[in-house]
Amino acid sequence: MRREGRAVPDEFDGDTAGLAVDEGAELEPVETPEERTARFERDALPLLDQLYAAALRMTRNPADAEDLVQEAYLKAYNGFGSFRKGTNLKAWMYRILTNSYINGYRKRQRQPVQQPTEEITDWQLAQAEQHTSSGLRSAEMDALDQLPDSDVKDALGELAEDFRMAVYLADVEGFAYKEIAEIMGTPIGTVMSRLHRGRKQLREMLTGVARERGFLRGEEVAS
Amino acid sequence: MSCGRPHDTNCGEVLADVWMFLDNECDGERRRVLQRHLDECGPCLEEFGLEEHLKALLARKCGGDAAPDRLRHRLRQSIREIVVQQAEVSVHSTEVTVERSGDGTVIEVRSSSTEVRQQR
Repeated sequence: MRREGRAVPDEFDGDTAGLAVDEGAELEPVETPEERTARFERDALPLLDQLYAAALRMTRNPADAEDLVQEAYLKAYNGFGSFRKGTNLKAWMYRILTNSYINGYRKRQRQPVQQPTEEITDWQLAQAEQHTSSGLRSAEMDALDQLPDSDVKDALGELAEDFRMAVYLADVEGFAYKEIAEIMGTPIGTVMSRLHRGRKQLREMLTGVARERGFLRGEEVAS
Repeated sequence: MSCGRPHDTNCGEVLADVWMFLDNECDGERRRVLQRHLDECGPCLEEFGLEEHLKALLARKCGGDAAPDRLRHRLRQSIREIVVQQAEVSVHSTEVTVERSGDGTVIEVRSSSTEVRQQR
């Protein structure tokens, strides 16, 4: 599920985009405000549903998600002049959304930061992977399929924020590790660690919910 | 735990890379090694299938929320407001002169425009 596959440029700085004027670097003909607005509406507005869905997973609240998306879009619009055509607009927009969430929304909410305990290389060190008992996996698969969408969304919402965002960006949006690293402003190793732990926890949670719902009998649960 | 059969790559190592494989983040050579192992190791293949299933489940069930129309409208409205604030206000004046003579009618149009750039 690889997307556009174009890397986000190094100077990619979503949250302050528009504040920094990229003097001299722009050799393209000057755009009129009308042209820029038209280009923004044509290219960026179609991403609205996706960004809203992501904002919903971040804030876990529709009203806050709307405010967050609005804030991110206006920042993006103001910084659109410094966005380089041909680079990955979707990743750029996600970076702005993520930064708006981390720097703005979350601070205002005074939510304690859910800081998962992680070490950059622990995804590798913690590998004591085992096969689950044979025969249980297909039962687990069937059980997960029976879960309503809301259960799966809720379970994702239960993950620590950094895990949740990494998993969302990888599995729902299909971003590459490199892109997620740029969006979240972390090294790739951290992205892998978050993905690994997040998915593992998610699977345990979902299996637990499936058991509670009676889709999976107790003795069928893979450990 | 191993499936008990000899493999070039041990099961733990393969399972550790399952996600990289599924995320399409392995280089060609690593991919081939993992693929070969999965082809010959049933338990690993099953585990792989479950993780693949989970990934697909998340994609299917956790995205796809549509933004409310009012957000779309609010956004367009806000962008318009910014545009107006930053707009170039143009004042155009056009003068039209019509002269009639015996040879016919001459129409002369003189146009001038002044642009006022308004910065926020």
